[in-house]
Amino acid sequence: MSIARILEIAFRTGRVTRKYPHEPPLLTPEFRGAVRVDPSKCWGCGACVKICPPNALSLRSDSGREVVLEYFVGRCIFCGMCAEVCPARAIEVTKEFELSSTSLESLKYGVAHRLVRCSSCGSLVWTEAELRAVIRSSPVAEEYVVLCPRCRKTRFARAASIRVGAGSE
Amino acid sequence: MSKGVEALVEMVGKLGGAVEDVRKSEIYIRVPREAVRAVAKLLYDSGAYLKTCAGVDERGTSGFYSIYYIFGLDSHGVDAVLKVLVPEHDPLIPSILPEVPAADWCELEIRDLLGIELSGRLTKRLVLPEDWPDGVYPLRKEFRYDEKPPRVVREELPEEVGIPVGPYHPALHEPEYFELYVEGEKVVDVVYRGFHVHRGIEKLAESPRFTYKQIPFLAERICGICGFVHSTCYVMAVEKAAGIGVPERAEFIRSIVLEVERLHSHLLWLGVAAHLLGYDAGFMHTWRIRERVMVLAEYLTGSRKTYGINVVGGVRKDLNVDKIDKTMKTVAQVREEFKKLADAALSVPQIKARAVGTGVLTKSEARALSVVGPVARASGLYRDIRKDYPYLAYRKVSFRVPLYTEGDNLARLLVRVEEVFESIEIIKQLIDMLPGGGIVSEEYEIPPGRRAVAAVEAPRGEDVHFVITGLGRPYRWRVRAPTYQNIPALRAMLRGTSLADAPLTIASIDPCFSCTDRVLVVDVRSSRRSFIKLVRGG
Amino acid sequence: MSSVNLARALRAIKRSVWVYHLNSGSCNACDIEILDALTPYFDVERFGIKLVGSPRHADLILFTGPVTRESLPKVVRAIRAMPRPRLILVLGSCGVSGGIWWDTYSTIGGFKKLEEVLRENGVEVDRVVYVPGCPVRPEAIIYGILLLLGVVEQKVKKVEVVASES
Repeated sequence: MSIARILEIAFRTGRVTRKYPHEPPLLTPEFRGAVRVDPSKCWGCGACVKICPPNALSLRSDSGREVVLEYFVGRCIFCGMCAEVCPARAIEVTKEFELSSTSLESLKYGVAHRLVRCSSCGSLVWTEAELRAVIRSSPVAEEYVVLCPRCRKTRFARAASIRVGAGSE
Repeated sequence: MSKGVEALVEMVGKLGGAVEDVRKSEIYIRVPREAVRAVAKLLYDSGAYLKTCAGVDERGTSGFYSIYYIFGLDSHGVDAVLKVLVPEHDPLIPSILPEVPAADWCELEIRDLLGIELSGRLTKRLVLPEDWPDGVYPLRKEFRYDEKPPRVVREELPEEVGIPVGPYHPALHEPEYFELYVEGEKVVDVVYRGFHVHRGIEKLAESPRFTYKQIPFLAERICGICGFVHSTCYVMAVEKAAGIGVPERAEFIRSIVLEVERLHSHLLWLGVAAHLLGYDAGFMHTWRIRERVMVLAEYLTGSRKTYGINVVGGVRKDLNVDKIDKTMKTVAQVREEFKKLADAALSVPQIKARAVGTGVLTKSEARALSVVGPVARASGLYRDIRKDYPYLAYRKVSFRVPLYTEGDNLARLLVRVEEVFESIEIIKQLIDMLPGGGIVSEEYEIPPGRRAVAAVEAPRGEDVHFVITGLGRPYRWRVRAPTYQNIPALRAMLRGTSLADAPLTIASIDPCFSCTDRVLVVDVRSSRRSFIKLVRGG
Repeated sequence: MSSVNLARALRAIKRSVWVYHLNSGSCNACDIEILDALTPYFDVERFGIKLVGSPRHADLILFTGPVTRESLPKVVRAIRAMPRPRLILVLGSCGVSGGIWWDTYSTIGGFKKLEEVLRENGVEVDRVVYVPGCPVRPEAIIYGILLLLGVVEQKVKKVEVVASES
């Protein structure tokens, strides 16, 4: 009756079933679920977009006046690299896994960022949130911050040459 | 270089080979196109295994296509990498198949993906889909990774007409299938039709979408069962190529997670094997025990599968006291529970009766086909990358490599049962010796044009990755999964067995694709075709 | 134009859902999690869910993988073989959107593209539920099936917010 030996194991073990969804899921504290982007912290810089292996995070620009950081959880591989590289610490890895949906659209989450124009040439420079972060973290004169890199270079060069010129006189 | 290797290299030199580069565990030898067959014969006859071959489009740098043949000199722990240049206007190489039976698939793959013709053997399409147009070769650099060439309708569509289900598995596996040719109840020949899962990974890694940093996550998705092996092997190859030092603690963590993965994989397979033998109670209990390993994996890495902790230079998640504690507790529980279950299951006479003497792979066949992993070890070949080419923390632990000589399904089953216990012992030793310090080195540079071969012992056998570095991403990344090497052995195993034993035999190599559901059965006497289901209901 | 009374069909199968597992070239991780859901810890037979060996017997298809070129015609055939109403649970990020391989030469990029092909071939699908995950946890599979049957509510919805200063 060697085939009955399994019965002893079964009786000894008893019930192991997790009665999800009536009982909590079998989650550990380390589980990586969907990420959450905090719209009050996000700068819209795109560091997460660059690192995201499956392109679940993307920057899209519909109007030209704003960019939207879009998180499409339907393509996410839940690696959490975006949270690691985010300079603003705006991305948090949650334990959310109940993401089922009847449409692809409801799997998308977007944070819209208004763009700032260069005060000199009018080209789009960066997002308002990025601008605020830069002003907060470094003592750059606002005059330079709202310039695109090229205008900034010319203006800086001009200012420097004036100063150099003044010194030689 | 040891004396034995030196003598071998000298003989290769007499045949026209010129040593290009000697690294710690690799020797790169340039071989003229005409001499490749003779050199391959020399190496193979001297006991080397063929790990794989890879075609690279190096027209951009050297003006040639290059074909690399990676031979493993297991007894010396050194890889001999032969490089053959193929001019653009004459893309042809002599096949080494007559001398090295294990070269069958990788040669065909070079022909499919790079468009290099083979002389001296029969050829057929292997990797690319049925409807792929002729003359379009994905691995040529001018081919964009996201190109979608138009469909070509061919005359000879798969011969499953009239059966609506196609090659699908009711229980778990991927869409692959075999054609078994039978005479009555006896299998006389097997044809594998696969590569349904060809997703273009190697090309994708060369594309601008990916960087060195992101590819570990891609590598992990080569296989959902042993993905960590692939990401480890990739980062090891890149680290080796660029000379990046990895903190010792990271090496230990990688080894621990590799063994945890082996535990889950072997338990998975043993469960499926029990199911195939009609022993569903055993299947359920094995998977119940396996669930502990899955929970442990999630606790250690953050995900139940596709762990995502490997990066070039180290790992992303550290171990703490709680995790170590949980690991020790879990492996102790698994050991105790699995011991009881394995004893109970192996004492069932029907299990032994079904597995003894079926699907035999003799030692000489195993050698000729360069099979790897538990399949090799069940046929009397002492091959284990952890011993032959010690990597990560494996040189510091002691463990036994289970070896059987019968080569039948029972031997392959027993090898895996014993490996479960060995893995548990390895994890315990690694945790005891776990060094302190950092887990990742961030400061590194990866110069282009470097080459490296890395190998990791996956649950299914030796996994080989070959990397040529490029700017920001590999110039070429070649992956050879263990099952790739083992499937051709099925022909030898299945010939002459009875049809009823075919499902278990096919499963016994633990195919990573992962198994087949339906086989097309062709009776060669009446040429009647019919499908049978390999696994009942689920 | 659908002649199927979906609500009635769902009521009828609610306590006995026969599922068929269709893999279109996935990496196996979702597939082993499907199998895991059948084993003691999650035991989906609690809900009357049973795996069957043919799409002809299935109420629901568990669909995984990014749909490789090679598997496409076979996948279409398998879905066509299914009786109406055709309910499909798309599991894993590969199935939902093509996942990490969404734009490679040998995949078509997930279920949305497949739906177009199905439509071209005159195969109607009655209800689809997408379950993201890489791989999907067994619990997520259970949640998806319960959502499809109307037992639980959908938690996610499309959100687009404007970044604001903290």
